[in-house]
Amino acid sequence: MKYVDEYRDAELGRVLAGEIVATVEPGREYKIMEVCGGHTHTIYKYGVDDLLPANVELVHGPGCPVCVIPMGRVDDAIAVAHIPGVIFTCFGDMMRVPGGSGTLLDAKARGADVRMVYSPLDALRIARENPDREVVFFAVGFETTAPSTALTLKRAKAEGTRNFSCFSNHVTIVPPLRALLESPDLRLDGFIGPGHVSTVVGARPFEFIPADYGKPVVISGFEPLDLLQSVYMVLRQLVEGRCEVENQYARVVPADGNPAALRVLEEVFELRPHFEWRGLGFISHSGLKLSEAYAELDAELRFEIPGVRVADPKACQCGEVLKGVIKPWECKVFGTACTPERPIGTCMVSSEGACAAYYNYGRFAREREVV
Amino acid sequence: MSCAADTHCITCSDEGVPMRVLDVQPDGLARCEAEGAESDVMIDLVGPLAIGDNVLVHAGVALARLA
Repeated sequence: MKYVDEYRDAELGRVLAGEIVATVEPGREYKIMEVCGGHTHTIYKYGVDDLLPANVELVHGPGCPVCVIPMGRVDDAIAVAHIPGVIFTCFGDMMRVPGGSGTLLDAKARGADVRMVYSPLDALRIARENPDREVVFFAVGFETTAPSTALTLKRAKAEGTRNFSCFSNHVTIVPPLRALLESPDLRLDGFIGPGHVSTVVGARPFEFIPADYGKPVVISGFEPLDLLQSVYMVLRQLVEGRCEVENQYARVVPADGNPAALRVLEEVFELRPHFEWRGLGFISHSGLKLSEAYAELDAELRFEIPGVRVADPKACQCGEVLKGVIKPWECKVFGTACTPERPIGTCMVSSEGACAAYYNYGRFAREREVV
Repeated sequence: MSCAADTHCITCSDEGVPMRVLDVQPDGLARCEAEGAESDVMIDLVGPLAIGDNVLVHAGVALARLA
């Protein structure tokens, strides 16, 4: 398939791996965080990390929106789903995320009308087809997904679909990165930046990382060769003593992002004063709620939302995993009490969660040989 | 485009799928195709499209045109 196959060439991958080995300085350790869960998935699906020298470590970041949803918000969603007359719609992964009182899938089994959709537009279609029911869309995701929700809300408003509303849990990527960089227990040398978020926001929002924290950033595509090349580009910056934002994914990401998408986000959403992230706590100006102009479509205003805060289970170490402090297999419940079939923590739910990626591709422990 | 463990999921995280435009509809949607699967995609953010164009699609919206 065009735009895919040419970025999975094994021979080119080996050449790039050789370049990486030739670039690193022996005796120096390199820790590079891939911010995005999509990157984590690619790394383990294709064994990208097996091609890297032992002194180059990839650390998995907080860029999986399913993984960062706190349990309280899931409980709020379940409460809305149980309101008589409501059809509650969400992406597939969100149905399996455990709250304090089970999952949306459990709620469905108990009689709530919970339906999986592939896009917010599908949820709007369900609303049109069921004018006597209240259809709520559980919106999650970073700046990549938020434009889809925003455009759907614009359509709903324009066509006057009054039985549609949105429970927004959209988040923005820069505040958690800043929080991570401020974290005293974190030692990172550079970042692989999120490609598709950057399609929307562009490369400029990441310039604070080299400017304020002196770390290189390379915005990367999602195929294995993209990741290898991005690791190489971060290492080149480190070895040459440079520190800037580079764009490996220029075939898709313009420096200024997508201005039309940014305009629609500005129109439909506004920043919350603070929003809770699983494992990271409350982060200022990191969540999006519906703007005043779209208040009529805001499920948080239309329905009684409990808003209860639920502490993460004690056994679960998603927070440390999301900050890259521990590897998934170092969590006490990884692969035993917590599996993709019966997840305790969110990182085990989504195929892009670090724990699920490790589990699905057999990474129960990390004993890597030197290439 | 499922959430199976061995495929990328368009519904989660920072993931997108390259799709080919099969038909442009008058209501701001385009019928698009990737690996045999078809879906309606919102094209408000990428300007006018023609049949055969390639776009990067995330959660039902085309975020970028692929050159």
